[in-house]
Amino acid sequence: MENRKATVPMRSLPIIWLTILLGLAVAWAAPAAEAPQVVTLDSSAPLLEIRVMVKAGAADDPQGLEGLAYLTGRLLIEGAFGDPENPVTKDRLAEITRAWGGGAYPDVDVSKEVSVFSMTVPREVLDTYLEQVLRPMFTRPLFAPDELDRVRAETLTFLRSGRLEQIELVGLIALDNVIHQGTGYAHPDLGTEMGLQQVTAEAVRRFYATYYTPENIVIGVSSAEPAIVKQVQEALSGVGRLEAASFRRRATQPPAPVRGREVLIVALPNAISTGLHAGFPLPITRAHPDYWPLYVANIWLGTHRDSFSHLYQVIRARRGYNYGDYSYIEHFEGRPFNLFPPTNSPRRYQYFSIWIRPVQHDYVHHLLKALTWELENFVRTGLSEEQCALAKNKARVLYLSLAETPGRLLGYRLDDAFYGMEPGYLGGYLETIDAVSCAEVNAAIRNYLQAENLRYVIITHKDEAPKLAAAIAAGDAAWGKSPLDYRIDVVEEGGKKIYQVPADKLELLRRDAAWAHHWLDIPRQRIRIVPAETLFRTAALPE
Amino acid sequence: MLKASLFRRGILPAGLVVLVGLGVGLTQGAPPPAKVFPYAIHKKTLPNGLDVIVIETPEFKDVLSFNTLVLAGARNETEPGKTGLAHLFEHILFRHRYAGEDNAYGRLMDELGTHNNAWTWFDVTYYHPLTFTGNLTGQGGLPGVLPLESARFTALDFTQKIFQTEAGAVLGEYRRIASFPSVRLSERATALLFPHHPYGHTTIGTYEDVLDMPNEYEAAVRFYDTYYRPNNCVLIIAGDVKAEEILPRVEPYYRDWEPKPVPPIQPTAAPPKGPQREHVPWDADVAPLVWVAYRMPEFKPGTAEGAVAQVLNELLVSPAAPLFKKLRYEKKTASTLGFAEGTQGFESFDSRMLVLSAQLFKEKYGEEGEAYFNDVIEDIIAGVEELKNFSKQPGARELLETLKSKYRYDFLAQMSSPANMAQTFAWYYRFNRDPEVFEHLLGSVERLTPEDIDRFARTYFVPENRAVLTLAFQAPEATAGN
Repeated sequence: MENRKATVPMRSLPIIWLTILLGLAVAWAAPAAEAPQVVTLDSSAPLLEIRVMVKAGAADDPQGLEGLAYLTGRLLIEGAFGDPENPVTKDRLAEITRAWGGGAYPDVDVSKEVSVFSMTVPREVLDTYLEQVLRPMFTRPLFAPDELDRVRAETLTFLRSGRLEQIELVGLIALDNVIHQGTGYAHPDLGTEMGLQQVTAEAVRRFYATYYTPENIVIGVSSAEPAIVKQVQEALSGVGRLEAASFRRRATQPPAPVRGREVLIVALPNAISTGLHAGFPLPITRAHPDYWPLYVANIWLGTHRDSFSHLYQVIRARRGYNYGDYSYIEHFEGRPFNLFPPTNSPRRYQYFSIWIRPVQHDYVHHLLKALTWELENFVRTGLSEEQCALAKNKARVLYLSLAETPGRLLGYRLDDAFYGMEPGYLGGYLETIDAVSCAEVNAAIRNYLQAENLRYVIITHKDEAPKLAAAIAAGDAAWGKSPLDYRIDVVEEGGKKIYQVPADKLELLRRDAAWAHHWLDIPRQRIRIVPAETLFRTAALPE
Repeated sequence: MLKASLFRRGILPAGLVVLVGLGVGLTQGAPPPAKVFPYAIHKKTLPNGLDVIVIETPEFKDVLSFNTLVLAGARNETEPGKTGLAHLFEHILFRHRYAGEDNAYGRLMDELGTHNNAWTWFDVTYYHPLTFTGNLTGQGGLPGVLPLESARFTALDFTQKIFQTEAGAVLGEYRRIASFPSVRLSERATALLFPHHPYGHTTIGTYEDVLDMPNEYEAAVRFYDTYYRPNNCVLIIAGDVKAEEILPRVEPYYRDWEPKPVPPIQPTAAPPKGPQREHVPWDADVAPLVWVAYRMPEFKPGTAEGAVAQVLNELLVSPAAPLFKKLRYEKKTASTLGFAEGTQGFESFDSRMLVLSAQLFKEKYGEEGEAYFNDVIEDIIAGVEELKNFSKQPGARELLETLKSKYRYDFLAQMSSPANMAQTFAWYYRFNRDPEVFEHLLGSVERLTPEDIDRFARTYFVPENRAVLTLAFQAPEATAGN
C-alpha cells in the first residue's frame, strides 16, 4: 500500500471571519491543494460536531459498479486505517471512541452527490481524536478486503429484504429512480444487486484516490475558534494520496423531460394497502431565486407531516383515506421516518413530487385521479393573498425545527457550501420568506409546476396490479368513499333514499365527483408492472 | 383571519443556538460534577394536581416548546377488543372543536404558527407543539397556544363523526407499517410475554381492533374521561421563558380542570413461565429474523437496576460488545444486531421487555435452515448470560468506568434543543415526579458497580423470562395443476 504520512505543512491561509445571523459564524479558507475548505458554527457546547463532506456520491458510481460510493464510505470507517502493521480496525475504533460517547464512532451517509462523515467529539479530547481517528482514517485508509466482503453481504441483505418490507420507502426510491432513468441518479444510494457484487477492493481504492481529495472536501466544525478550525483542517490535509488509477468522473446529466403520463406499478406479494407517488424533474435548486416563491407555494400544497397543507386536508383530514399526503420541491431523504428534511443530501438536479401514503386498494384509482386533479387545479388557480400569507406564516414557524439543533445548523452550512449559497439557507430564510410576494408565488407555480407530464409510481399487492393497470387504461369514472362513509344522514321517503347533506359536505361530494370523472389519459402501453423483488438489480428499470 | 404582519415583532430573527456551559467539568477521569443539567428547572403543582414544569433555556432565543404529557398509553387499554385507543385519542385531540367550531383548534394553531405533533407509546402520550414565545397568549386577534392547548385538554369537544373520520387515518397508519416483519414480531413477543397485562398488545393495537375503531366512540369517551385529568398529566414548558413570569399566566387556564382518581393497572394473573419459542412464517421473501426477548423489571430511575438498564445497550449490542463482535464480525451470522425497541422499551411503569433482534442471511438459512436459527439463538443467550459473571471478567471495573463516561456524553448529546430536553425530562420525570430526576439517573450510573450487573443478569436473564421468536419466508403451498 502506498499510504504516505502527511508531511506537507499547511500553508498559512487567509481566514476571513464573517458573522452572520443566528449567532453563526463561517470561516472560508481559500481553496488550496493541501487543505480542504472549512465552514464553522459558533457554538461553545462541550461536544464538538465535526462533519466531512466529500463531494462524491452514488451518482459517481461507475456504470456497473453501483454501490461503490457507499462501500467506500463504509470501508473508510470499518475497513481499518493507520499503520498496516498495527491498524485501527473497526473493533479497535469502537474501543478507542467508546468513552467519548456514541457520536464519537464515525458515521457515514452516502447520497447522490456527496458522502458525509459525522462525528461528535468532546472538546477536551480533540487532540487525541484527531491523531488517533480523524487523520489516519482519512489519510491512511487500508480498505481491508475481508471487510469489503462483510459490508457487501450485509448491504445486499438489507437491499434484497428491504424492497419487500418497506412499502413506503421503496415507493419513494422507485419514483426517484424512474424520474432519473438513464442518469447517475437512477439507482439507490446503497447501490444495486449487480453493482455491489462487482465492487473490488481495488475499485474502492480508486474511488478514494479519485474523489477523496482536499479540493473535493468541505469540513464542518461547530466551533469558530481559529485554533480548532486550523487543527481539524490540517488533520485532513493529506487526504487522497494513494497510488491508484483515477476513475473518469461520470458526467452528471439532468434527467430527461417527461412527456405525457407514465405509470410504474410495483407489485408486492403481501401489501395490504397501496402507496401512490407522482413527480417530474424541476430545473431549479434552492440556489435559484425562484426557489423561495416555489417553496411558499409548496408549503401551502403539501408540507411534509403537517396538517396545515391542502393535500393533507382534502385526503386525510376531511376524508380519512390515509395517514398523510404531501408534496416536495426537493428530494427529502428518509421521508417515512423524518419529521423534517435531514441535511447533507444536496443535489444538482431536483424534482417535484407528491406522496399519497398507503390507502385501501379499492380507492387507488380514485386517488390517482384526485392527486392529478388537485395538482392541475393548483396550477390553474394559484393562491390567494390570504393563502399566501398563511403559507408564509407556516414557513416561518418551520424555521424553529429546521434550525433546532447545532447539528442541523452545521449541516445546513455544509449544504450551503455545496450550493454556493451565502448567507446560506437558514441565514437568509426568514427575511427571504418575508420578502416573497404572492405574485411571485403564483408566477413560480405557473412556471415550474404542471400535471400534463408526470411519472407515477404505485406500490401495491401483486393481485391488484393487473386490475389497476386495466382500470387506469380504461379511464372510466372511479369513485372513492360514499356518502355513507362520510356519515351523511339518509332518510327514506316514498321508497327513495334522500341524503341530508350539510353545506360543508356538499362541497366535498362535488369535489369527489370531479375527481371520479377526471380523465387521466394513460394508455395501457404506458403502464408497466414490475415485481418488487426485481427492483434494484441493476440501475435500469426491470423489464 | 391572519395578517402577514403577525410575526413582525421586531425581535426576529434572533439567535437560536448556542448551548453554553453544558456539562462543564465532564472530563474523562475527573470526578463528576455536583450537578449535570445546567438549566434551571422549576416545578409548581396546581391545587387540582397538575404539575407544571418550566425549563429555562434562555440561549434558545424566542423558542417556546409547550408540551403536555398524559400518563396514559397502550398500558391503559384494559377493555377487550379496544386496543389502540390511547393512540386514536392522540389523533382526536387534534380535531378539538375550539369554541364549538369544527376543526377550529387545528386551524387556529396553524394560523398562529406552530409545529404541532404528538406521539403515543406503551405508558404515555406526549403532545409537543413548538412555536415562538410571542405566540403564548396570542396576538392579532388570535388566541395563543396557552388558551388553545389548555382548552383541548380541559374541555375537549369532538363529535362521533369526527371520531369516525379520524379512525380512517389510524387505519392508514397501521397499513403503512403492516409489511414490516418487525411489526408482527412485536405483536407476537408482547403477546407471549404479557398475556396477563395490557403490555401484551402493541400501541397501535391489533389490526382487528383498528378496523373496528369507528365503532369505539363510547369507549373513547370513557378513555378521555378517565385519563385526561390534571392529576394524570404534566405540563412541561421549555425555551426562552422565565418561570416567575409564565407560571402565573398558565394557572388560570388549567385551574378549573377537574381531577379524578385514576384506576390502577393490575395484572390479571402471574406472568407466564418460560422459556417460550414461536416461529412466524412470512409471506414475502425477506431476510430471516431472530428475536430473543426477556421480561425486565419495572423501571425506577435512580436505582441500581435502573442504572444497569442504561448501560445494557453498550454491554450487548454496541460495536465494542463481545456479543455484537461475535455475530457480526467473527462468525458473520447476523447482518444486524440491536435492541428492537432501544433501551426505552423497558423504561416502563410495570415490568416490560428487552428485545435483542438479529437479521440473518437468507442464503445461509436456505442451506442450514433451523440449525442456523439455533446457532444464533444460542449465541445470543450465551452472550446475555455472560453478564451474570461480568464482575469476574478481567478489566470489568475499568470497562464500567468507560461506559459511565460514554453515558455522560450521550446524555449531553441528547440535550440539543429545548424540545429535546423537555421530552427527555418528561420521559423520566413521570416515574417519581421528581424534578431532580436527571441528577438521580446520572448519579445512579456513577455509583454502578460490576456486581450490580451480575445481580441484574442473574435475576432477570433467566429462562422463565425468555421468549424466542423466529421469522422466515414460507412459500405459498404449491397449487395442484399442470
